[in-house]
Amino acid sequence: MALSPTLRLDRVSFAYGMVPALADVSFALGPGERTALLGRNGAGKSTVVKLVTGLLRPATGAVWVGDWNTRAHRPEALARRVGSVFQHADQQLFARTLQDEVRFGPRALGLAPAEIDRRVARALAVLELESHAGEHPYDLPPAFRKLATLACALALEPTLLVLDEPTSGLDRALRARVARALLERAATGVALLVITHDLAFAAETLERGLVLDRGRLAQSGPLADLLASRERLEPLGLAPPPVAVLSAALDLPGRPVREADAVRALARAARVAGGGRSI
Amino acid sequence: MSGRLHPFTLLAVAAALPALAWILPAPAGAAATLAVALGLTLTPGASPGSTGIGSSPGWRPGSVVFRAALLTAAPFWLFLLLLHDVPTTIATGLRITTMVASIGWVVAALPPARLVEAMVAAGWSATAAYLFAATLSAVPVLKSRAQRIVEAQRCRGLSPRGGVANRLRALGAVALPLVLSALHEVDERALALETRGLVPGVHRTPLEPPPDRVAERVARWGLAALCAVALVWRLA
Amino acid sequence: MTRVALEHVSFWYPATSAPALEDVSLEVVGGELVALVGRVGAGASTLLLVAGDLAPRVVGGRLEGTVRFEGSDRAGKDGGRRIVLPSPWTQLSGMAFTVWDEVAFGPANLGWPRGEIARHVEHALALLEITGLNSRDPATLSGGELQRVILAGILAMNPAVLLCDEPTAELDPAGAQAVWRLLSALAREGKAVLVATSDLDALPDVADRVVWLERGRVAATGTAALLAGDAACAAGLGTTVAGVWRAAELAAPFPATVAAAVRRWR
Repeated sequence: MALSPTLRLDRVSFAYGMVPALADVSFALGPGERTALLGRNGAGKSTVVKLVTGLLRPATGAVWVGDWNTRAHRPEALARRVGSVFQHADQQLFARTLQDEVRFGPRALGLAPAEIDRRVARALAVLELESHAGEHPYDLPPAFRKLATLACALALEPTLLVLDEPTSGLDRALRARVARALLERAATGVALLVITHDLAFAAETLERGLVLDRGRLAQSGPLADLLASRERLEPLGLAPPPVAVLSAALDLPGRPVREADAVRALARAARVAGGGRSI
Repeated sequence: MSGRLHPFTLLAVAAALPALAWILPAPAGAAATLAVALGLTLTPGASPGSTGIGSSPGWRPGSVVFRAALLTAAPFWLFLLLLHDVPTTIATGLRITTMVASIGWVVAALPPARLVEAMVAAGWSATAAYLFAATLSAVPVLKSRAQRIVEAQRCRGLSPRGGVANRLRALGAVALPLVLSALHEVDERALALETRGLVPGVHRTPLEPPPDRVAERVARWGLAALCAVALVWRLA
Repeated sequence: MTRVALEHVSFWYPATSAPALEDVSLEVVGGELVALVGRVGAGASTLLLVAGDLAPRVVGGRLEGTVRFEGSDRAGKDGGRRIVLPSPWTQLSGMAFTVWDEVAFGPANLGWPRGEIARHVEHALALLEITGLNSRDPATLSGGELQRVILAGILAMNPAVLLCDEPTAELDPAGAQAVWRLLSALAREGKAVLVATSDLDALPDVADRVVWLERGRVAATGTAALLAGDAACAAGLGTTVAGVWRAAELAAPFPATVAAAVRRWR
């Protein structure tokens, strides 16, 4: 549909001084595409994030956000298109209320007040944070501060969301909230690039997997295939999430990796096998 | 080089230089102490491996400290020029710059851990020593945190350019979270230290107490004596 | 025998009217691993602080009820209660420039002789499989590596009671599995281990008992089978397998693990 993909890395290389970080990495994300960025520590994932947000410029190759080359735009300009949440994001909080905090981004972009209000309300609503809008960010428990930083990124209403471990420190209910919020945005065309080792969350939210290994793109393909394969995950320090393991162990048709799909497959299989058998 | 000197010696030098700068007649005396202080900022902080705070990422010893000292002192020169005549400006400016350079040097060259070991070996309580050392190590920690905050705010659309009002707002968007997050962590840090045994009244085992050579102790007393003599001479 | 017990404990943080803990009774003895589960804000972290003698002593606030601790707690000796807080970054001593020194920080504060410190540090580094990180600067470590260093630092003090608040939060699945195995082994060695965690799927294999906290009160206690119960699943506190089983409307009791599900399936 769109003429240019939401994000494109074109033969990108980068090194920190003498230490190579990325070598000849190319991939693209279209609107609404939801991608997991996986790899061991030091594989280059954070470097990709910094390149996409414009904090770093590639040594060779180019990073395109829509039709903008990151070499030609500063991070504060790219913020119109790229919403990002780094680790330790809660250290960026400083407003008196959660509402003001989420307003910061749209205000910095110079939007009209009515538009700012609309975006802030939408971001708080999708993460179910409206009841906390008037509270001081530091009065919120750490898990909610983390949600707040995601709300800040959502309020920018970018075309691309880049998230680094968005679910670490969250319990199951809050992880589900994040998953719902991201899926809602993706449905409106926002592309997602998520660094995560929470494969259960990845299974629910993301559809494609990119694996970095020592600065190179080692694998790229449907996430479901990756999640089902212990051999491909083990070298990354990862393991198939419980739903994938259950699907394989019970030999459920289609080997679902998402909970809802597994529930349906299980129920169907039980009916088929059951008859009178009580399982 | 400074990695092998006893921490108290480094502190003594860092205290003596500004003291002498103020005691000795300006501009010659102050210029001399400033030259020494700036010279120190150009020495490599400590040997790599077991280094001082100079080992945190992005903080290269040598000219970085030198430049930081000059940059920090620059605004003072400006104010002095606005308020005083040239001779006073030069005199006070040299003295202030000496102070800034000495402090900058000792913060970069003195590993807090070594200072704690030295204080504990000298009989200070572990908690007191820790407070002192934590103040020193706060600089690179806050510096890297400030860097992260700047990056995060830029990615939210904060532009550090533009008019004065805009720049002040930008400064607030970095300074406030820095202070707030640091303050907020104080409680948790206190709990962590408590559970790791840093409580009053306990005698901490020095892991690697820095050796205190007789020559250095003599040198420290010598410096103190030098300052006293200079003061007496100046007042007489 | 090491034992820490809370008897009808209620706790209020300073300047709050609502209690963070209400009439909580709980006992953990040496040799067992007890897991605290509950939603965010249920009081698990507070309970750990109370059990670890940090609340109200350091935190302030008001406590009603009794906290009993049996085991050696004399300053400077092995034993005692130590807590691993969430978020490894705020637990760094800020004074160590190598991982070795960071892990030695606790033992050194206890005033142990240098030889003993070295023994405990080497042992702790080996247990956490981070001996290779020995001379690294803690400020340059990743979240997962740092979490292991902090845990090693606490273990090097040889506590009798080990309290952990979300010890696997920053770890990848392989790292998390290794830490659970370690905590289980430490419990078998005789330590009393109390862990607040949201990693429910790991618990059936390691937890001897599970305590479910809801708004400061104990809602239920039992074995890990609690996490496969209807109530827990309905509250979002069941294991993934149990949750899927229940949602597929298959018969109770729900299996807690994949292995149990396979057995039921046959």
